[in-house]
Amino acid sequence: MRVKYVLSEVLVGLWRNVTMTIAMIITMAVSLTMLGASGLMYRQVDDMKDLYYKNIQVSIFLDQEVSPEQRDALAAKLEGDPLVKESIYVNKDEAYKRFQEMFQDAPDLLSAVKADSLPESFRLTLNNPEQYKSIYDQYKEAEGVDEIVDQSRLLDKIFDILTSIQNIALAAAIVMAIAALLLVANTIQVAAYSKRREVAVMKLVGASNWFIQAPFVLEAVVAGLIGSLLGLVALIAAKYLLFDGSLQALQGLLSPIGWGDILVVFPLMAGVGGVVSAVTAWVTLRFYLRV
Amino acid sequence: MTKTYPKASRPSLDNVSVSIEKGEFVFFIGPSGSGKSTIIKLLLHEVAPNKGRVVVNSKDVTSMRSWKRPHFRRSIGCVFQDFRLLPNRTAYENVAFALEVIGKTKAVARRVVPEVLELVGLGGKEHRYPHELSGGEQQRVAVARAFVNRPLILLADEPTGNLDPDTSIEIMRLLDRINRTGTTVVMVTHDSNIVNQMRRRVIEIESGRIVRDQARGVYG
Repeated sequence: MRVKYVLSEVLVGLWRNVTMTIAMIITMAVSLTMLGASGLMYRQVDDMKDLYYKNIQVSIFLDQEVSPEQRDALAAKLEGDPLVKESIYVNKDEAYKRFQEMFQDAPDLLSAVKADSLPESFRLTLNNPEQYKSIYDQYKEAEGVDEIVDQSRLLDKIFDILTSIQNIALAAAIVMAIAALLLVANTIQVAAYSKRREVAVMKLVGASNWFIQAPFVLEAVVAGLIGSLLGLVALIAAKYLLFDGSLQALQGLLSPIGWGDILVVFPLMAGVGGVVSAVTAWVTLRFYLRV
Repeated sequence: MTKTYPKASRPSLDNVSVSIEKGEFVFFIGPSGSGKSTIIKLLLHEVAPNKGRVVVNSKDVTSMRSWKRPHFRRSIGCVFQDFRLLPNRTAYENVAFALEVIGKTKAVARRVVPEVLELVGLGGKEHRYPHELSGGEQQRVAVARAFVNRPLILLADEPTGNLDPDTSIEIMRLLDRINRTGTTVVMVTHDSNIVNQMRRRVIEIESGRIVRDQARGVYG
């Protein structure tokens, strides 16, 4: 009976103040979408870091006029270097072959480059990709070395961009969460005001505090959970429209977002939505009802 | 005990000591602002005294934790000048509401509520809304709600304040009947007629002090 009473009070409460309820749910949904997006981004960046850093290479390009002795000395030195996991020598022919593969769609470019104009190089895989700097310092001045290129430099830029997008999403999530919080507090006050007679009678006849508060708190929690469901829908829509749609060109660059990722973020959104609403409602009632 | 409200220049109740026995019928009289209503609030544990103790049902409630208050209140029924009924509920539903919110089942309410409405003389009007009832009838609903849980004490804060003399007397008869079931009745009032007719214990308060405590007293 009491459960039924509380649930019907929740529905009546949400419906009585329906414009406010909608505003509350929408803000909550936007905030939680942002939170979910930044959570996804976080996992994404992690995944990508794993993926890329594993395959990342440092290339040491050699002078055009490098002598075989210099080359062998360098090869021996790289072989013995504790920072280097693997070192592969790429001669001019192989470099040209790779170049041909990479640019097979651009015959003009291919015909403009001669087979021996591409430099020989060592492709290094490092034990720890972040130690690029010491490799660079060590081999920069070595004889026969023309240039040292670190792919992780490029990736760092991409990761920087992703991280700042993630931070923006998180900041937006927090700002919207504050708005949602105030709306919840306000909605609960209005609800408590519209039920002040009932509440006064309940206090008078000795209804327990949880029984008086439960409908209000649950009202906020239900709104929070609906908000998180809408947020989930928004994330799914974003996956469909953005990642599988207009951003598909970046597929090779960005690791794909799976349904599993979204499903993992949802409990986070629902949990935050529910708990934030419940705590806000409860604190509001402490001040407003003084039960 | 003494109760001073914050910002008040003098205590609302100043060193007052009263003992009310089980089953008594007591009037608190005195001019407005004399501290009568503070007594009700202290008994309900709505406010706590600054000095002294409040003992209800042989339990010291002075320092009762607020989470224990709801359960404590179930042993006290309350009636007010302004009835405090829920306008969107019928007489029956108003009384049943008081039972349901303290966890009684609908089956209990179906058994008990008609009985108590009969007791207060509202048999046949169970399904009227408050606005369809006269003032006296509304107060009867309020008394029924206060009494339905069989409290040990019934507190009445000027219950006849909004009623005409004839209706007031009917309500007093009702309170008298409730008192005879063994319920202690504590009533705050201005109504000299009623006090004079009932001839019960009268405690007069003036400026926060007891100036008279008389068994079978009159308004004075």
